[in-house]
Amino acid sequence: MHTELTIETPHQRQNRHKAMEAISVLNALKEDFKSPIRSMGYFYDLFEKVYCRHEPLHEGKAKIGTMCIQIPSEIIYALEGIPIRLCNGFYTDDEIGSDLLPQKSCPLVKATVGWFASDNFSDKPDITFSPTTCDQKTKAGAIIGSFGHTVIDVGFPRTKESEESRHYWRESVKSFAVKLSKFQGKKLTKSNLESAIKKVGYAQSLYHKLTEFRKAKAVPILGVDMFLVTNAFFFDKIDEWIGAVEKLLAELEQRVNDGVNVAGKASPRIVYTGSPPIFPNYKIPLIIEESDAIIVADETCSSNRMFNDMVAVDEWNLYDMIDSVSDKYLKACTCPIFTQNDDRIRRIIQLVHTYKGDGVIYQAFAGCQVYEMEQRSVLAAMEREGIPILYIESDYSPSQHGQLTTRVEAFVESLKNRKRMKK
Amino acid sequence: MKNKFSLRRAVNNMNLVRFRFWFQIAAFAFIVYGGYIGLDLGNKLPTFACVYNAEGTGGKCYVGMLQHDLKHPIDVFMGYAGYAFLISLVMFMVWFWVLNKGWCGFVCPLGTMQDWLTMLREKTKIRFSEYSWANRGKIKSIKYILLFLLLLLPVMIANSVFGIPKLPNGLSMPFCDICPGRMMIPAFTGDFNQFYIDFSSKTDIVMTTIGMIMTGLFLAGSFIKKRFFCYFCPMAALQYIFSKPALLKLYKDGSKCTRCGDCYRACDMDILEIADDVTTKNMVTEDCTLCLKCVAACPEEGCLEANFMGATIFESTKEGFVLRMAMDQRGEKHAH
Repeated sequence: MHTELTIETPHQRQNRHKAMEAISVLNALKEDFKSPIRSMGYFYDLFEKVYCRHEPLHEGKAKIGTMCIQIPSEIIYALEGIPIRLCNGFYTDDEIGSDLLPQKSCPLVKATVGWFASDNFSDKPDITFSPTTCDQKTKAGAIIGSFGHTVIDVGFPRTKESEESRHYWRESVKSFAVKLSKFQGKKLTKSNLESAIKKVGYAQSLYHKLTEFRKAKAVPILGVDMFLVTNAFFFDKIDEWIGAVEKLLAELEQRVNDGVNVAGKASPRIVYTGSPPIFPNYKIPLIIEESDAIIVADETCSSNRMFNDMVAVDEWNLYDMIDSVSDKYLKACTCPIFTQNDDRIRRIIQLVHTYKGDGVIYQAFAGCQVYEMEQRSVLAAMEREGIPILYIESDYSPSQHGQLTTRVEAFVESLKNRKRMKK
Repeated sequence: MKNKFSLRRAVNNMNLVRFRFWFQIAAFAFIVYGGYIGLDLGNKLPTFACVYNAEGTGGKCYVGMLQHDLKHPIDVFMGYAGYAFLISLVMFMVWFWVLNKGWCGFVCPLGTMQDWLTMLREKTKIRFSEYSWANRGKIKSIKYILLFLLLLLPVMIANSVFGIPKLPNGLSMPFCDICPGRMMIPAFTGDFNQFYIDFSSKTDIVMTTIGMIMTGLFLAGSFIKKRFFCYFCPMAALQYIFSKPALLKLYKDGSKCTRCGDCYRACDMDILEIADDVTTKNMVTEDCTLCLKCVAACPEEGCLEANFMGATIFESTKEGFVLRMAMDQRGEKHAH
């Protein structure tokens, strides 16, 4: 057969490299573990479709880009937009971004900036809202804006205990809602916001049901699969995501009845925390689970933090719903950018207790300052509680795989020993 | 998996707002009309069951009794009147210990009326007001000042304190004179006689005028601010003094709290500690009405609980939260 020879464009090259990154992770998820889950197929296909074949999911719809998890998706759905969370996990994009940002920047931010710089999206955001969370994300918003994208800052406070912060953030969210409403030419009403809150709430409740299964002795689902499910929420069609998770839940229920365990009997149970694992950067989670440990819970904004806390409304009127939504995205947040981080430490400890964790793995991206800075206090707190913890610094590069594996395996081994000693 | 039909699960999943609405109506009917069917719990109830509600009450407010008990010359008080006072106080405490502050959240007719006004406002879609944290701190002490006055003024009628001349007899029930309950509660039996200004003496003119103003404030205030009057209620202050040994408790397990603030948002009394305090176990604070809305609004498994004599009777669960917020199903498909 005759094929026409053409020179690969930079976009095609970028896409090819990204597809290679994506497929190697997807293949690892599909093939490296025992007892695969049938209904995870939906998610593997979804990621293949978007990141290997670069097919758009939301053609003809307004795509609202968001940086970080603090931009309320409830309001975006209410205004008939598609929230697309732009946190990026591709090394390919990280490399592009490296030319534009200081060398010591966080790979997640570099990858996001690189993605925008190359202007190569399967679903390009029509407008982007950037909460002023950490310094790097804040600056990234401005840099992305300079490429000609519409980026609107949504002022986010860095202390969450004060009344001023609460008011400030509520005003920020209101102004975000007004801007988005103008952009969309739609009105935010009691009924569309109420149904969006309930829909997102339902999606969250499904996530909570999934996590219930992870408390069991025989864990029916891998941590990396869970990360994939929650990462899919960044960009998937919400109704289809809900449908897929409902199926997954049914299958897990069956697996629990059949006593299926994706880990070994003695596999240490890990609570994962730190910089967020974002597809396809599942480097550390994959190493952990390939080293015969199982991630039973996490405290990261790509999964647990995004889904855990739910919006509670007292009076279902528009003003109260907006305030409730605002509070949820501020008060419950355990992001390390806040001045006080006791909440995050308490949460990690609580996860270890509820999910019967044997140890904590704390991963920070090199250059992700706040997570790096908090490392000491978390380590000290875990020491006080008698919880073993491993701190790892990594980035998106595929280079230190061997070294990282050695460290994780040693930690997992020590946890196993500890378990044996206890017996 | 948990038993789908267990009673505990049914209770934890209940719609607290609806339960409380009907409970309050029943309690209101009992307090206001109970006497008509021969029910009477006496006159030492730790709630606003108004003594001016001439007949047909199911019980009467202890604050009225308390002021009456104190209106004796000191030598009489040191004798039989003191015993009467102590017996009344003990009876009040016993009643109070059964429900703790739950008297406010579930029984008090004045509280119930405020909740009805709140519902009315909700229907009109008018936004509720909140006090700022700083102002909330400042007004906290008003109820203690009122309590102090209602204890002191009756004493000063029969006794000269610090050489101050004896007060006129018109001040024998100083708090009742200004309490909105005196006008509002009898009104429900068709008795509007309390809406008047008494011109029989200067004291009466002043006190009944304040009373009229207070009732106006009560109606307007609780329309805008949830449980507006409860911040100033001297009964709440009196109750809080005896709250520690009470049987009904609101407990919090701080280790399970994410400080998401959902409970604080639900709280009619804007009690910040309920969300922010992760070390205290007993969360019945001075302003708490034990309405349990915080428990219903908490999405954390077992973080908040209502506890009666050591037994959990209602606790926060994820499942209950999701049901109460109607987040248990897909809902309508969006027209994208």
